[in-house]
Amino acid sequence: MKIKDLIVTANRNLLRNKLRTALTVMAVFVGAFTLTMTNGLGDGLKDYIETQVKNYEGNNVIFIHKKIELPEGQSKNEPAEYKEQKENEQEFDPNSFAVGLDQIDRLARDFPEVKSVSPDFQIRSEYITLDDGKKYQVQLNALARGVTQKLEAGRQIDGDNQIVLQNDIAKVFSADFQGLIGREVTIGFKGGNPPAMQTLRLTVVGVATKGFMASAFSAIDAATERKIYELQRAGSPDYGRLTTFSFEVAGNDPQVVESVKQRLDKKGFTGETIVDQSKRTYNAIGVFQIGMNMFAFVALLAASFGIINTLVIAVMERTKEIGLQKALGMGQAKVFFLFSLESILIGFWGAVSGIAGAILVGKIGNAWASKYFLESFEGYSLFAFKPAALLTIVAIICLIAFLAGVLPAFRASRLNPIEALRYE
Amino acid sequence: MLKAIELSKTYKSGTDEYRALNGVSVEIADDDCLAIVGKSGSGKSTLMHLLACLDAPTEGRITFDGEDVTTFSNHRLNRFRNEKFGFIFQQFYLNGRDSVIENVVLPLKIRGIGAAERRDKGLEYLRAVGLADKAQKAAKDLSGGEKQRVCIARALAGEPKIIFADEPTGNLDSVTGGMVEETLFRLNREQGIALVIVTHDDELAAKCARRIELRDGEVVAAR
Ligand SMILES: Nc1ncnc2c1ncn2[C@@H]1O[C@H](COP(=O)(O)OP(=O)(O)OP(=O)(O)O)[C@@H](O)[C@H]1O
Ligand SMILES: [Mg+2]
Repeated sequence: MKIKDLIVTANRNLLRNKLRTALTVMAVFVGAFTLTMTNGLGDGLKDYIETQVKNYEGNNVIFIHKKIELPEGQSKNEPAEYKEQKENEQEFDPNSFAVGLDQIDRLARDFPEVKSVSPDFQIRSEYITLDDGKKYQVQLNALARGVTQKLEAGRQIDGDNQIVLQNDIAKVFSADFQGLIGREVTIGFKGGNPPAMQTLRLTVVGVATKGFMASAFSAIDAATERKIYELQRAGSPDYGRLTTFSFEVAGNDPQVVESVKQRLDKKGFTGETIVDQSKRTYNAIGVFQIGMNMFAFVALLAASFGIINTLVIAVMERTKEIGLQKALGMGQAKVFFLFSLESILIGFWGAVSGIAGAILVGKIGNAWASKYFLESFEGYSLFAFKPAALLTIVAIICLIAFLAGVLPAFRASRLNPIEALRYE
Repeated sequence: MLKAIELSKTYKSGTDEYRALNGVSVEIADDDCLAIVGKSGSGKSTLMHLLACLDAPTEGRITFDGEDVTTFSNHRLNRFRNEKFGFIFQQFYLNGRDSVIENVVLPLKIRGIGAAERRDKGLEYLRAVGLADKAQKAAKDLSGGEKQRVCIARALAGEPKIIFADEPTGNLDSVTGGMVEETLFRLNREQGIALVIVTHDDELAAKCARRIELRDGEVVAAR
């Protein structure tokens, strides 16, 4: 029998019992639909992270925090053991993530390839205003040295008393971003002892592009950040103690960056570049995605029992027909192939219809999400359907369907023609 | 053409053994017409299945044009049956929902012949059994006699050397049975296709050129 004839015959056999086929296809449909949706959700998230991460660049900047090492055998569920800190001032406190400024400087001295060090000072700001107009809440933060951000207008920060406005704040100030460049804004913060509202005037040098991460804060220069930090924290017990800081490595050699990270690790610090951080998020989403897909696979497992059932009944119903085909010279392999094709076709139509349904629902979901809760998340769709992923889903489901059909198809292929013809 | 030498067949089920056929030798010539007769349970169908290579004998050999068929591989045996033999059974084994022509061309489809050629040949043999006008009908809508003639057309479609017919008229009344017999004998006369007919109808057997009678798996009479 020719392949084409086998496919036509398989299709016709399926159509002989439309209701039964349709019900079995429905079961696969449910699995395919779920798999496409869960996978699409994961892909949507990954896409989103990808676009967000592109808002910041700086391949040779390493963000660092101290590790608190758990003694071997101790699980994270138990309370951490207190360790005595030695008298030596240079020792890091084994019980805390905090690192002193002087300790950071000493650490950096062990790394001749480090060009600059940026401690990550945490400051609190109250408001921002342009021309004494309306005041808006704002978070301020200096970018680590060596990191640049994507801008809609203007340039990166390159001197003191400068600010790059986050997109949504710039928008309420003026629709003309270019016109904002060079203007002065006033920021308010509480500082001094006792704390009182103080202001600073900063020159707008740029406007950042939209994005989830980029809307969290407006970027100011490091000196201004330090000035505010001093005003807010001088004299407090945790003054000069930070949990994160970053190294800017000279040159652009990824191998050098890698070796710095490794040596940091030996000294008890975790160092990550922006790419590392996004990879971590990416992997976390990947795990989440696999977890979600598992639910879909449970549905597919149930569907495959439907396929097995359908085929077992079909083999029984068609025993005589199989007997005749074998008497007329149809080989075992062809009989097996015919029944396998029938199960694969059930899988195929279930997969195609499930994917079509999922895309339809996904499109509606995307439209709805962007209208209601993803407004600020521009360029993000809740579900992303990628051709490669969809093809993979079809292939996987066809494979599952094939495997489900193996046993009945094998039984059909092994039928003895005489006995099959005699079957009542 | 087909030669069976000292065929025996023993059916085993658990510890029970049943010798359904015992040392039967038959020869079928190119345009032979052979009837196999005997009482029910005498081993007629068993012999036919062995001759048609649908089953392997427990002992004995079958040769076709001098070649030992029992040595053929499965693949070769399937192809051999498809090309050399046609089958007609007491039951029709038609696919009721498919059209008549689809049923007729089944052996050609299994052989791997293209759709157009299949169609031409199918129509040709439907004409030979007088059913060309019913080609597109669903097979289930035919009468019993018509169905059996479709089966003949199906047996012919593969252009076989031998047609094996197991009780071909057993399910038909005498008039339609007569028409089916007539068609078979005409094909034997005009196209030289050998006929092997299993029957317990003595009248039908009498119309065949030769007959062998079986009793308890052994040949008790031959003509
Ligand atoms: N697969 C089998 N297993 C066990 N015994 C079998 C099998 N096939 C046939 N037999 C036995 O072999 C004997 C011969 O059977 P066979 O079908 O050849 O008879 P038959 O002459 O064709 O009879 P009928 O005219 O009723 O068709 C019977 O007694 C039958 O019970
Ligand atoms: Mg019989």
